[in-house]
Amino acid sequence: MEGKTIVITSGKGGVGKTTATASLGAALALEGKRVAVVDMDIGLRNLDVVMGLENRIVFNVVDAAKGKCKLKQAAIKDRRVENLFLIPASQSDNKDALSPELMKQFAKELRREFDFTLMDCPAGIERGFENAVAAADEAIVICTPEVSSVRDADRVIGLLYARSITPKLVVNRIVPAMVEKGDMLSHEDVVDVLSIELIGLVEMDEQVVVSTNTGIPSVLQKGSVAGEAFRRIAMRINGQPELPIAVPQGQKRFWKKVGRKLGFGK
Amino acid sequence: MSKIPEDIARMANNPTFQEKIPVRVKGEGDSLRVTLEPGTPLPFIKEELNRRFEQMKHLAVNARVVIDAGEVEHAEEIVGELGRFLKDTFKVASVSPPARPAPAAAERTAPREAPPPWRYHRTDALVLAGRVRSGQKITARKHLVILGDVNPGGEVVAGGDIIVLGSLCGNASAGQPSHEEAIVLALDFRPIQIQIGGFVAAGSSDSPGKKIEFAHLEGGTILVEDYLQANPFGRLPWPQVR
Repeated sequence: MEGKTIVITSGKGGVGKTTATASLGAALALEGKRVAVVDMDIGLRNLDVVMGLENRIVFNVVDAAKGKCKLKQAAIKDRRVENLFLIPASQSDNKDALSPELMKQFAKELRREFDFTLMDCPAGIERGFENAVAAADEAIVICTPEVSSVRDADRVIGLLYARSITPKLVVNRIVPAMVEKGDMLSHEDVVDVLSIELIGLVEMDEQVVVSTNTGIPSVLQKGSVAGEAFRRIAMRINGQPELPIAVPQGQKRFWKKVGRKLGFGK
Repeated sequence: MSKIPEDIARMANNPTFQEKIPVRVKGEGDSLRVTLEPGTPLPFIKEELNRRFEQMKHLAVNARVVIDAGEVEHAEEIVGELGRFLKDTFKVASVSPPARPAPAAAERTAPREAPPPWRYHRTDALVLAGRVRSGQKITARKHLVILGDVNPGGEVVAGGDIIVLGSLCGNASAGQPSHEEAIVLALDFRPIQIQIGGFVAAGSSDSPGKKIEFAHLEGGTILVEDYLQANPFGRLPWPQVR
Protein backbone atom coordinates (compact mmCIF):
# COMPACT_ATOMS: atom_id res chain seq x y z
CA MET A 1 0.00 0.00 0.00
CA GLU A 2 1.22 3.47 -0.86
CA GLY A 3 1.90 5.92 1.93
CA LYS A 4 0.58 9.43 2.43
CA THR A 5 2.45 12.69 2.18
CA ILE A 6 1.17 15.36 4.54
CA VAL A 7 2.47 18.91 4.52
CA ILE A 8 2.36 20.86 7.77
CA THR A 9 2.11 24.54 7.05
CA SER A 10 0.85 27.83 8.48
CA GLY A 11 1.99 30.81 6.43
CA LYS A 12 3.11 32.69 9.50
CA GLY A 13 6.31 31.75 11.25
CA GLY A 14 6.67 30.76 14.88
CA VAL A 15 3.26 29.16 15.36
CA GLY A 16 4.61 25.68 16.02
CA LYS A 17 4.92 23.93 12.66
CA THR A 18 8.24 22.31 13.48
CA THR A 19 7.17 21.24 16.95
CA ALA A 20 3.94 19.85 15.55
CA THR A 21 5.80 17.96 12.82
CA ALA A 22 8.17 16.37 15.32
CA SER A 23 5.38 15.52 17.76
CA LEU A 24 3.00 14.11 15.14
CA GLY A 25 5.82 12.16 13.54
CA ALA A 26 6.75 10.57 16.85
CA ALA A 27 3.12 9.92 17.76
CA LEU A 28 2.38 8.22 14.43
CA ALA A 29 5.52 6.12 14.79
CA LEU A 30 4.37 5.11 18.28
CA GLU A 31 1.13 3.98 16.66
CA GLY A 32 3.24 1.52 14.73
CA LYS A 33 3.50 3.28 11.39
CA ARG A 34 6.65 3.82 9.40
CA VAL A 35 7.10 7.58 9.42
CA ALA A 36 9.49 10.04 7.81
CA VAL A 37 9.63 13.68 8.84
CA VAL A 38 11.15 15.91 6.18
CA ASP A 39 12.53 19.35 6.93
CA MET A 40 11.70 21.48 3.90
CA ASP A 41 13.10 24.69 5.40
CA ILE A 42 16.21 24.60 3.23
CA GLY A 43 18.85 26.98 4.57
CA LEU A 44 17.19 27.38 7.98
CA ARG A 45 17.00 23.84 9.25
CA ASN A 46 15.89 23.19 12.81
CA LEU A 47 13.70 20.09 12.83
CA ASP A 48 16.88 18.11 13.53
CA VAL A 49 17.46 20.15 16.70
CA VAL A 50 13.89 19.73 17.88
CA MET A 51 14.24 15.96 17.40
CA GLY A 52 17.69 15.83 18.94
CA LEU A 53 19.33 14.34 15.87
CA GLU A 54 21.56 17.20 14.72
CA ASN A 55 24.83 15.37 15.37
CA ARG A 56 24.03 12.52 12.99
CA ILE A 57 23.36 14.40 9.77
CA VAL A 58 25.46 13.28 6.80
CA PHE A 59 23.15 13.70 3.80
CA ASN A 60 20.11 15.89 3.47
CA VAL A 61 16.87 16.26 1.52
CA VAL A 62 18.53 18.12 -1.37
CA ASP A 63 21.02 15.29 -1.85
CA ALA A 64 18.28 12.69 -1.69
CA ALA A 65 15.90 14.55 -4.04
CA LYS A 66 18.64 15.18 -6.58
CA GLY A 67 19.78 11.58 -6.40
CA LYS A 68 23.21 12.32 -4.95
CA CYS A 69 22.53 9.75 -2.26
CA LYS A 70 20.03 7.00 -1.59
CA LEU A 71 16.91 7.73 0.40
CA LYS A 72 18.05 5.30 3.08
CA GLN A 73 21.31 7.20 3.48
CA ALA A 74 19.55 10.52 4.01
CA ALA A 75 16.90 9.18 6.42
CA ILE A 76 18.23 9.28 9.97
CA LYS A 77 16.68 6.69 12.23
CA ASP A 78 15.47 7.89 15.60
CA ARG A 79 16.90 5.76 18.39
CA ARG A 80 14.08 6.28 20.89
CA VAL A 81 11.11 5.69 18.64
CA GLU A 82 10.90 2.72 16.34
CA ASN A 83 10.08 3.44 12.68
CA LEU A 84 10.69 7.21 12.94
CA PHE A 85 13.05 8.75 10.41
CA LEU A 86 14.25 12.30 9.85
CA ILE A 87 15.29 13.66 6.47
CA PRO A 88 17.00 16.92 7.39
CA ALA A 89 17.22 20.11 5.36
CA SER A 90 20.39 21.37 3.81
CA GLN A 91 21.85 24.29 5.73
CA SER A 92 24.14 25.60 3.00
CA ASP A 93 21.72 25.71 0.02
CA ASN A 94 18.77 28.01 -0.48
CA LYS A 95 15.17 27.27 -1.49
CA ASP A 96 16.01 27.29 -5.21
CA ALA A 97 18.05 24.12 -4.74
CA LEU A 98 14.77 22.20 -5.11
CA SER A 99 11.90 22.58 -7.56
CA PRO A 100 8.26 21.41 -7.36
CA GLU A 101 8.91 18.88 -10.16
CA LEU A 102 11.87 17.43 -8.30
CA MET A 103 9.80 17.19 -5.10
CA LYS A 104 6.94 15.39 -6.87
CA GLN A 105 9.44 12.83 -8.05
CA PHE A 106 10.97 12.53 -4.58
CA ALA A 107 7.54 12.16 -2.95
CA LYS A 108 6.84 9.08 -5.07
CA GLU A 109 9.93 7.49 -3.63
CA LEU A 110 8.91 8.48 -0.09
CA ARG A 111 5.41 7.04 -0.50
CA ARG A 112 6.86 3.67 -1.46
CA GLU A 113 9.12 3.61 1.57
CA PHE A 114 6.97 5.14 4.36
CA ASP A 115 3.37 4.97 5.56
CA PHE A 116 3.41 8.64 6.47
CA THR A 117 5.69 11.41 5.28
CA LEU A 118 5.33 14.66 7.20
CA MET A 119 6.74 17.73 5.46
CA ASP A 120 7.72 20.60 7.69
CA CYS A 121 6.94 23.59 5.46
CA PRO A 122 8.87 26.83 5.85
CA ALA A 123 7.05 30.05 6.73
CA GLY A 124 5.93 32.18 3.81
CA ILE A 125 4.24 31.31 0.54
CA GLU A 126 7.19 31.48 -1.82
CA ARG A 127 9.43 28.83 -3.34
CA GLY A 128 9.87 26.87 -0.13
CA PHE A 129 6.11 26.60 0.32
CA GLU A 130 5.62 25.60 -3.31
CA ASN A 131 8.25 22.89 -3.04
CA ALA A 132 6.69 21.45 0.11
CA VAL A 133 3.12 21.59 -1.18
CA ALA A 134 3.90 20.18 -4.64
CA ALA A 135 4.64 16.81 -3.11
CA ALA A 136 1.74 16.69 -0.66
CA ASP A 137 -1.49 14.65 -0.77
CA GLU A 138 -2.90 16.25 2.34
CA ALA A 139 -2.24 19.32 4.41
CA ILE A 140 -2.46 20.31 8.04
CA VAL A 141 -2.64 24.02 8.76
CA ILE A 142 -1.33 25.12 12.14
CA CYS A 143 -2.83 28.30 13.51
CA THR A 144 -2.56 30.10 16.83
CA PRO A 145 -5.50 32.11 18.20
CA GLU A 146 -4.06 35.41 17.01
CA VAL A 147 -5.46 37.65 14.32
CA SER A 148 -2.21 37.73 12.34
CA SER A 149 -1.84 33.97 12.40
CA VAL A 150 -5.47 33.50 11.35
CA ARG A 151 -5.04 35.81 8.41
CA ASP A 152 -1.91 34.05 7.17
CA ALA A 153 -3.52 30.65 7.66
CA ASP A 154 -6.50 31.89 5.66
CA ARG A 155 -4.21 32.87 2.79
CA VAL A 156 -2.47 29.51 2.89
CA ILE A 157 -5.81 27.68 2.90
CA GLY A 158 -6.78 29.59 -0.24
CA LEU A 159 -3.53 28.55 -1.90
CA LEU A 160 -3.99 24.92 -0.87
CA TYR A 161 -7.54 24.84 -2.25
CA ALA A 162 -6.14 26.27 -5.48
CA ARG A 163 -3.94 23.15 -5.64
CA SER A 164 -7.00 20.95 -4.88
CA ILE A 165 -5.75 20.00 -1.43
CA THR A 166 -8.37 20.17 1.33
CA PRO A 167 -6.49 21.19 4.46
CA LYS A 168 -7.27 20.32 8.07
CA LEU A 169 -6.81 22.65 10.98
CA VAL A 170 -4.92 22.46 14.25
CA VAL A 171 -5.32 25.37 16.63
CA ASN A 172 -2.14 25.58 18.67
CA ARG A 173 -1.18 27.42 21.88
CA ILE A 174 -4.62 27.99 23.32
CA VAL A 175 -4.57 29.60 26.76
CA PRO A 176 -7.95 28.63 28.24
CA ALA A 177 -7.81 31.26 30.99
CA MET A 178 -7.29 34.05 28.46
CA VAL A 179 -10.01 32.72 26.19
CA GLU A 180 -12.38 32.69 29.12
CA LYS A 181 -11.60 36.31 29.94
CA GLY A 182 -12.08 37.28 26.32
CA ASP A 183 -8.44 38.30 25.84
CA MET A 184 -7.81 35.60 23.26
CA LEU A 185 -9.72 34.36 20.25
CA SER A 186 -11.52 31.14 21.05
CA HIS A 187 -11.05 28.15 18.78
CA GLU A 188 -14.64 28.64 17.61
CA ASP A 189 -13.73 32.11 16.33
CA VAL A 190 -10.76 30.68 14.45
CA VAL A 191 -12.78 27.84 12.94
CA ASP A 192 -15.52 30.31 12.03
CA VAL A 193 -13.19 32.39 9.94
CA LEU A 194 -11.16 29.57 8.42
CA SER A 195 -14.11 27.18 8.01
CA ILE A 196 -12.13 24.00 7.40
CA GLU A 197 -12.22 20.70 9.22
CA LEU A 198 -10.72 20.89 12.70
CA ILE A 199 -8.59 17.94 13.75
CA GLY A 200 -7.08 19.15 16.96
CA LEU A 201 -6.81 21.75 19.70
CA VAL A 202 -3.50 22.10 21.49
CA GLU A 203 -3.15 23.94 24.74
CA MET A 204 -0.25 26.25 25.53
CA ASP A 205 2.31 24.11 27.31
CA GLU A 206 5.63 25.19 28.85
CA GLN A 207 6.83 21.61 28.59
CA VAL A 208 7.12 22.09 24.83
CA VAL A 209 9.94 24.61 25.35
CA VAL A 210 11.79 22.08 27.47
CA SER A 211 11.25 19.27 24.98
CA THR A 212 12.42 21.32 21.97
CA ASN A 213 15.53 22.41 23.84
CA THR A 214 16.39 18.92 24.97
CA GLY A 215 15.44 17.29 21.68
CA ILE A 216 12.86 14.92 23.16
CA PRO A 217 9.52 15.02 21.34
CA SER A 218 6.71 16.18 23.64
CA VAL A 219 4.67 13.04 22.97
CA LEU A 220 7.37 11.05 24.78
CA GLN A 221 7.10 13.21 27.89
CA LYS A 222 4.71 12.07 30.56
CA GLY A 223 2.25 14.70 31.70
CA SER A 224 2.70 17.02 28.73
CA VAL A 225 -0.72 18.46 27.79
CA ALA A 226 0.47 19.38 24.30
CA GLY A 227 2.02 15.95 23.86
CA GLU A 228 -1.30 14.30 24.74
CA ALA A 229 -3.14 16.55 22.27
CA PHE A 230 -0.70 15.68 19.49
CA ARG A 231 -1.13 11.97 20.23
CA ARG A 232 -4.84 12.33 19.74
CA ILE A 233 -4.33 14.26 16.50
CA ALA A 234 -2.04 11.47 15.28
CA MET A 235 -4.79 8.94 16.06
CA ARG A 236 -7.26 10.99 14.04
CA ILE A 237 -4.86 11.10 11.10
CA ASN A 238 -4.24 7.40 11.47
CA GLY A 239 -7.71 6.14 10.69
CA GLN A 240 -9.78 7.25 13.71
CA PRO A 241 -11.28 10.49 12.43
CA GLU A 242 -14.29 10.28 14.75
CA LEU A 243 -12.21 10.48 17.92
CA PRO A 244 -13.70 13.44 19.84
CA ILE A 245 -11.67 16.64 20.07
CA ALA A 246 -11.03 17.68 23.66
CA VAL A 247 -11.42 21.41 24.25
CA PRO A 248 -8.60 22.68 26.49
CA GLN A 249 -9.95 23.91 29.78
CA GLY A 250 -8.07 25.67 32.55
CA GLN A 251 -7.76 24.15 36.00
CA LYS A 252 -9.89 26.92 37.45
CA ARG A 253 -12.82 25.80 35.39
CA PHE A 254 -13.80 23.15 37.91
CA TRP A 255 -13.93 25.59 40.84
CA LYS A 256 -15.80 28.09 38.73
CA LYS A 257 -18.40 25.44 37.96
CA VAL A 258 -18.71 24.62 41.64
CA GLY A 259 -18.96 28.34 42.43
CA ARG A 260 -21.66 28.80 39.83
CA LYS A 261 -23.59 25.88 41.26
CA LEU A 262 -23.39 27.49 44.69
CA GLY A 263 -24.66 30.78 43.30
CA PHE A 264 -21.43 32.81 42.95
CA GLY A 265 -20.22 34.51 39.81
CA LYS A 266 -22.34 35.27 36.82
CA MET B 1 -63.83 59.84 -57.54
CA SER B 2 -63.29 57.10 -60.07
CA LYS B 3 -60.55 58.84 -62.04
CA ILE B 4 -58.50 60.33 -59.29
CA PRO B 5 -57.59 57.31 -57.27
CA GLU B 6 -56.15 55.80 -60.43
CA ASP B 7 -54.05 58.81 -61.08
CA ILE B 8 -52.94 59.12 -57.47
CA ALA B 9 -52.30 55.46 -56.96
CA ARG B 10 -49.95 55.45 -59.91
CA MET B 11 -47.95 58.27 -58.46
CA ALA B 12 -48.12 57.14 -54.87
CA ASN B 13 -46.85 53.71 -55.67
CA ASN B 14 -43.75 55.09 -57.30
CA PRO B 15 -41.58 56.65 -54.64
CA THR B 16 -39.12 58.32 -57.02
CA PHE B 17 -42.00 59.84 -58.87
CA GLN B 18 -43.70 60.78 -55.65
CA GLU B 19 -40.81 62.95 -54.51
CA LYS B 20 -40.91 65.14 -57.56
CA ILE B 21 -44.64 65.90 -57.37
CA PRO B 22 -45.13 69.49 -56.13
CA VAL B 23 -48.85 69.03 -55.46
CA ARG B 24 -50.45 65.74 -54.53
CA VAL B 25 -54.15 65.06 -54.05
CA LYS B 26 -55.29 61.93 -52.36
CA GLY B 27 -58.56 60.65 -51.01
CA GLU B 28 -58.28 60.05 -47.30
CA GLY B 29 -61.30 58.81 -45.39
CA ASP B 30 -64.16 61.20 -46.17
CA SER B 31 -61.85 64.07 -47.16
CA LEU B 32 -59.31 65.02 -49.77
CA ARG B 33 -55.75 65.47 -48.67
CA VAL B 34 -53.61 67.93 -50.58
CA THR B 35 -49.91 67.58 -49.93
CA LEU B 36 -47.67 70.40 -51.10
CA GLU B 37 -43.97 70.17 -51.75
CA PRO B 38 -42.38 72.92 -49.59
CA GLY B 39 -41.03 75.78 -51.66
CA THR B 40 -43.47 75.45 -54.56
CA PRO B 41 -44.61 78.94 -55.71
CA LEU B 42 -48.20 79.75 -54.85
CA PRO B 43 -49.43 80.57 -58.42
CA PHE B 44 -48.12 77.22 -59.62
CA ILE B 45 -49.98 75.45 -56.80
CA LYS B 46 -53.21 77.25 -57.71
CA GLU B 47 -52.80 76.31 -61.35
CA GLU B 48 -52.14 72.69 -60.44
CA LEU B 49 -55.09 72.55 -58.01
CA ASN B 50 -57.29 74.14 -60.63
CA ARG B 51 -56.39 71.40 -63.10
CA ARG B 52 -56.91 68.56 -60.61
CA PHE B 53 -60.15 69.82 -59.11
CA GLU B 54 -61.55 70.53 -62.56
CA GLN B 55 -61.07 66.83 -63.40
CA MET B 56 -63.08 65.88 -60.32
CA LYS B 57 -66.02 68.06 -61.46
CA HIS B 58 -68.97 67.70 -59.09
CA LEU B 59 -67.03 65.50 -56.67
CA ALA B 60 -65.18 68.56 -55.45
CA VAL B 61 -68.39 70.26 -54.42
CA ASN B 62 -68.96 70.06 -50.67
CA ALA B 63 -65.76 68.09 -50.23
CA ARG B 64 -63.71 68.50 -47.14
CA VAL B 65 -60.13 69.34 -47.97
CA VAL B 66 -57.07 68.98 -45.78
CA ILE B 67 -54.02 70.90 -46.98
CA ASP B 68 -50.67 69.76 -45.72
CA ALA B 69 -48.22 72.55 -46.52
CA GLY B 70 -45.36 70.73 -44.83
CA GLU B 71 -42.97 72.22 -42.29
CA VAL B 72 -42.70 75.72 -43.74
CA GLU B 73 -42.87 79.18 -42.15
CA HIS B 74 -46.09 80.55 -43.61
CA ALA B 75 -48.02 77.30 -43.62
CA GLU B 76 -51.17 78.86 -42.12
CA GLU B 77 -51.17 81.71 -44.63
CA ILE B 78 -50.77 79.31 -47.51
CA VAL B 79 -53.59 77.13 -46.24
CA GLY B 80 -55.83 80.22 -45.75
CA GLU B 81 -55.07 81.58 -49.21
CA LEU B 82 -55.63 78.25 -50.94
CA GLY B 83 -58.73 77.65 -48.82
CA ARG B 84 -60.35 80.87 -50.07
CA PHE B 85 -59.33 79.97 -53.64
CA LEU B 86 -60.81 76.45 -53.43
CA LYS B 87 -64.03 77.59 -51.69
CA ASP B 88 -64.58 80.33 -54.29
CA THR B 89 -63.73 78.25 -57.33
CA PHE B 90 -64.95 74.75 -56.50
CA LYS B 91 -67.47 75.22 -53.62
CA VAL B 92 -65.65 72.88 -51.30
CA ALA B 93 -67.17 72.59 -47.83
CA SER B 94 -64.10 73.24 -45.65
CA VAL B 95 -60.36 73.65 -45.85
CA SER B 96 -58.17 72.93 -42.86
CA PRO B 97 -54.57 72.19 -41.99
CA PRO B 98 -53.81 68.56 -41.07
CA ALA B 99 -54.66 67.59 -37.51
CA ARG B 100 -51.46 67.17 -35.50
CA PRO B 101 -51.25 64.04 -33.36
CA ALA B 102 -51.54 65.05 -29.70
CA PRO B 103 -48.04 64.43 -28.33
CA ALA B 104 -49.03 64.95 -24.68
CA ALA B 105 -51.59 62.18 -24.82
CA ALA B 106 -49.10 59.81 -26.36
CA GLU B 107 -46.62 60.52 -23.60
CA ARG B 108 -49.17 59.93 -20.90
CA THR B 109 -50.02 56.47 -22.10
CA ALA B 110 -46.47 55.46 -22.97
CA PRO B 111 -45.14 54.39 -19.55
CA ARG B 112 -48.26 52.39 -18.79
CA GLU B 113 -48.06 50.47 -22.02
CA ALA B 114 -44.28 50.11 -22.18
CA PRO B 115 -42.90 46.98 -20.54
CA PRO B 116 -41.36 47.52 -17.08
CA PRO B 117 -37.66 48.38 -17.33
CA TRP B 118 -36.54 45.07 -15.78
CA ARG B 119 -38.47 42.93 -18.28
CA TYR B 120 -35.69 42.98 -20.87
CA HIS B 121 -32.89 43.86 -18.47
CA ARG B 122 -30.12 41.32 -18.58
CA THR B 123 -28.32 41.07 -15.28
CA ASP B 124 -25.15 43.01 -14.59
CA ALA B 125 -24.58 41.33 -11.25
CA LEU B 126 -21.89 38.81 -10.48
CA VAL B 127 -23.30 36.38 -7.93
CA LEU B 128 -20.77 34.18 -6.17
CA ALA B 129 -21.19 31.60 -3.45
CA GLY B 130 -18.34 30.76 -1.09
CA ARG B 131 -15.75 32.36 1.06
CA VAL B 132 -13.34 35.07 -0.06
CA ARG B 133 -10.14 34.31 1.82
CA SER B 134 -7.19 36.47 2.74
CA GLY B 135 -5.18 37.39 -0.34
CA GLN B 136 -8.02 36.67 -2.76
CA LYS B 137 -9.44 39.52 -4.78
CA ILE B 138 -12.77 39.48 -6.58
CA THR B 139 -13.53 42.10 -9.17
CA ALA B 140 -16.96 42.62 -10.72
CA ARG B 141 -17.72 44.91 -13.63
CA LYS B 142 -20.99 46.02 -12.06
CA HIS B 143 -22.77 44.69 -8.96
CA LEU B 144 -21.29 41.96 -6.80
CA VAL B 145 -23.27 39.59 -4.60
CA ILE B 146 -21.38 37.21 -2.31
CA LEU B 147 -23.38 34.37 -0.78
CA GLY B 148 -20.85 33.70 1.94
CA ASP B 149 -18.22 35.55 3.88
CA VAL B 150 -15.34 37.85 3.11
CA ASN B 151 -12.49 37.06 5.49
CA PRO B 152 -10.02 39.58 6.93
CA GLY B 153 -7.52 40.33 4.18
CA GLY B 154 -9.95 39.36 1.42
CA GLU B 155 -10.84 42.00 -1.14
CA VAL B 156 -14.03 42.62 -3.11
CA VAL B 157 -14.20 45.28 -5.81
CA ALA B 158 -17.23 46.24 -7.90
CA GLY B 159 -18.28 48.87 -10.38
CA GLY B 160 -21.67 49.01 -8.65
CA ASP B 161 -23.04 47.77 -5.35
CA ILE B 162 -21.53 45.11 -3.12
CA ILE B 163 -23.90 42.86 -1.20
CA VAL B 164 -22.48 40.27 1.17
CA LEU B 165 -24.97 37.76 2.55
CA GLY B 166 -22.65 36.80 5.37
CA SER B 167 -19.84 38.50 7.26
CA LEU B 168 -17.85 41.21 5.58
CA CYS B 169 -14.51 41.36 7.44
CA GLY B 170 -12.19 42.34 4.58
CA ASN B 171 -11.90 45.29 2.23
CA ALA B 172 -14.81 46.35 0.05
CA SER B 173 -14.58 48.87 -2.80
CA ALA B 174 -17.93 49.68 -4.39
CA GLY B 175 -18.71 52.03 -7.27
CA GLN B 176 -15.23 51.86 -8.74
CA PRO B 177 -13.93 54.10 -10.17
CA SER B 178 -16.42 56.94 -9.77
CA HIS B 179 -19.99 55.72 -9.17
CA GLU B 180 -20.92 57.53 -5.99
CA GLU B 181 -24.45 56.13 -5.69
CA ALA B 182 -23.13 52.67 -4.91
CA ILE B 183 -23.68 50.99 -1.55
CA VAL B 184 -21.97 48.26 0.42
CA LEU B 185 -24.31 46.01 2.38
CA ALA B 186 -23.55 43.04 4.62
CA LEU B 187 -25.58 40.96 7.03
CA ASP B 188 -22.61 41.15 9.39
CA PHE B 189 -20.84 44.40 8.67
CA ARG B 190 -17.28 44.43 10.06
CA PRO B 191 -15.05 45.60 7.22
CA ILE B 192 -11.43 46.67 7.57
CA GLN B 193 -11.89 49.38 4.98
CA ILE B 194 -14.66 50.64 2.72
CA GLN B 195 -14.33 52.56 -0.51
CA ILE B 196 -17.21 54.09 -2.42
CA GLY B 197 -16.31 55.92 -5.62
CA GLY B 198 -13.14 57.80 -4.75
CA PHE B 199 -13.88 58.01 -1.01
CA VAL B 200 -12.25 55.86 1.65
CA ALA B 201 -13.32 55.06 5.20
CA ALA B 202 -11.64 52.90 7.80
CA GLY B 203 -13.76 50.23 9.41
CA SER B 204 -14.53 50.69 13.06
CA SER B 205 -13.66 48.08 15.63
CA ASP B 206 -16.95 48.19 17.50
CA SER B 207 -19.11 45.24 16.66
CA PRO B 208 -22.49 46.11 15.18
CA GLY B 209 -24.33 43.37 16.99
CA LYS B 210 -27.22 41.79 15.14
CA LYS B 211 -27.94 44.64 12.78
CA ILE B 212 -27.78 44.52 9.01
CA GLU B 213 -25.76 47.55 8.03
CA PHE B 214 -24.88 49.29 4.82
CA ALA B 215 -22.46 52.03 3.81
CA HIS B 216 -23.33 54.80 1.40
CA LEU B 217 -21.96 58.17 0.41
CA GLU B 218 -23.56 61.32 1.71
CA GLY B 219 -22.01 64.75 1.22
CA GLY B 220 -18.52 63.43 0.64
CA THR B 221 -18.40 61.12 3.66
CA ILE B 222 -19.16 57.45 3.94
CA LEU B 223 -22.03 56.78 6.33
CA VAL B 224 -22.85 53.43 7.86
CA GLU B 225 -26.47 52.92 8.87
CA ASP B 226 -28.85 50.23 9.97
CA TYR B 227 -30.32 49.05 6.69
CA LEU B 228 -33.77 48.16 7.95
CA GLN B 229 -34.14 51.39 9.87
CA ALA B 230 -32.80 53.72 7.17
CA ASN B 231 -34.59 51.79 4.39
CA PRO B 232 -32.82 53.80 1.69
CA PHE B 233 -34.87 52.53 -1.24
CA GLY B 234 -38.23 52.36 0.53
CA ARG B 235 -39.43 55.65 -0.89
CA LEU B 236 -38.82 54.95 -4.54
CA PRO B 237 -42.19 55.16 -6.32
CA TRP B 238 -41.44 52.40 -8.75
CA PRO B 239 -38.95 49.52 -8.72
CA GLN B 240 -35.89 50.72 -10.57
CA VAL B 241 -33.03 49.00 -12.27
CA ARG B 242 -29.79 49.84 -10.48
